[in-house]
Amino acid sequence: MSRTILICSGKGGVGKTTLTANLGIALAKQGASTAVLDADFGLRNLDLLLGLENRIVYTAQEVLAESCRLEQALVKHKQEPKLSLLPAGNPRMLEWLTPDDMKKIVGMLEERFEFVLIDCPAGIEDGFKNAAAAAKEALVVTTPEVSAVRDADRVIGLLQTRDIQPIQLVLNRVRPKMMVNQEMLAVSDVTDILALPLVGLVLEDEQVIVSTNRGEPLTLNGSRSPAGLAYTNVARRLRGEDVPIIDPSKESQGFRARLSRLMQTKIF
Amino acid sequence: MAALFLAAARPGLSHHLLLPEWTRQSGAVDDVLRHDLEQHSPPGGAVILHANHWRLTLPELQALRQRLQRQGLTLIGVECRNTETLVAAAALGVTASAGADLTPTTPPVATASSSPAEPSPQPVIPPDPLTIHRGTLRSGDHLQVEGSLLVLGDVNPGARASAAGHVLVWGRLRGIAHAGCLGDGSARIVALELRPLQLRIAAAVARGPSDPPPAGLSEEARLVDGVIRIDPAQATWPLGLA
Repeated sequence: MSRTILICSGKGGVGKTTLTANLGIALAKQGASTAVLDADFGLRNLDLLLGLENRIVYTAQEVLAESCRLEQALVKHKQEPKLSLLPAGNPRMLEWLTPDDMKKIVGMLEERFEFVLIDCPAGIEDGFKNAAAAAKEALVVTTPEVSAVRDADRVIGLLQTRDIQPIQLVLNRVRPKMMVNQEMLAVSDVTDILALPLVGLVLEDEQVIVSTNRGEPLTLNGSRSPAGLAYTNVARRLRGEDVPIIDPSKESQGFRARLSRLMQTKIF
Repeated sequence: MAALFLAAARPGLSHHLLLPEWTRQSGAVDDVLRHDLEQHSPPGGAVILHANHWRLTLPELQALRQRLQRQGLTLIGVECRNTETLVAAAALGVTASAGADLTPTTPPVATASSSPAEPSPQPVIPPDPLTIHRGTLRSGDHLQVEGSLLVLGDVNPGARASAAGHVLVWGRLRGIAHAGCLGDGSARIVALELRPLQLRIAAAVARGPSDPPPAGLSEEARLVDGVIRIDPAQATWPLGLA
């Protein structure tokens, strides 16, 4: 049975595409054949994050027009051949995709892959409706900010009227220190409002920016960075493993402890 | 059973589309309507859908609207007794109303108490009709009912719950609640945790208190001398007993 998971957030810039890229790599590394479908084709950059921009020849559009086969449009990842990228379309052709197109293309992917991850565009308009048309389950990404939580709540409401189940939550860009000082919404504030099971808690991490610019997701090289570990753990939980969620309040102590340890090793 | 299409009595009025009574055997709404609408070739115009107990999701309503559109009909309103359908209709942007004769949202079941010898008793009209919504109202949702409203769940920031009667929330009220939205100043807003963005009773509007409420204390808002006041909730059920 193949699983089709929509990755959405409502608000832009909270980390949908980063999660899609890292999760895709992590799932593939764990042995599951995975396709990532970039439904945000107006402003597509999932290919950038995966470092596959220069390999795209065809898109889903050509597949549906039957001017190429699905295999030709799928871009295999260089190091992780179990992961394939399918761009939904060309940024210049904004009007072509309909919910039925989406169902057709996802149906084709489901025959070949264990996981199909759909990177949803921001907003709740047509782009979102198209992307959601074929999804069976969803991951909602949010950050501990009032605006992101509000938008996530709206999106969850819309997903529920479409009978998408289960909907799970990924809390992104958490800064443990700010949470401890109550300068940021606490994890419980967010889960109280959204009332969804938390499937991942990702710490704010500068390595994400580095990896984005390089086109190498953090999960690719077994990076020990906090965000990379968190993404790998999301993938493991999705596959049914029981991995405990980190506690950000302990994590902030952990940082300080790790830092002082680092300082000591340098001195001696 | 088939759906019923009542054409408008004269031009300018809307048509009415009545779905058959919902039962557990009812299939998809699309199948029910496909037959009936293809038999008719009604004149175009506005249509009000009477969905009664049907639970229609947003995609189902969307498909239904498109089906009507192909026949030159525009869906302008949905009347139903299912709160999820109400929310879906509101999300679609058509006028959703719970109808004047609103009764609890669960489909009618034969009550065990009525003895079989009795002739079918006249339906008892409850003194103050109550709509029960199970589940959380999320940001952007707007649920409006004609009687009183009981939400079994939270009303999240950005959501609105309005009722001609009382608004009762068995959960956290963090959005906007409007009780007595047709002008009843005696309507109350009660919540297990009253932490609203805004409260409205009849024509009065108040911003929610900025301080969090005392933990573990349910509160209620009432209109006293034209001003909305928050007190600990009274231990009495505000509605008449059906």
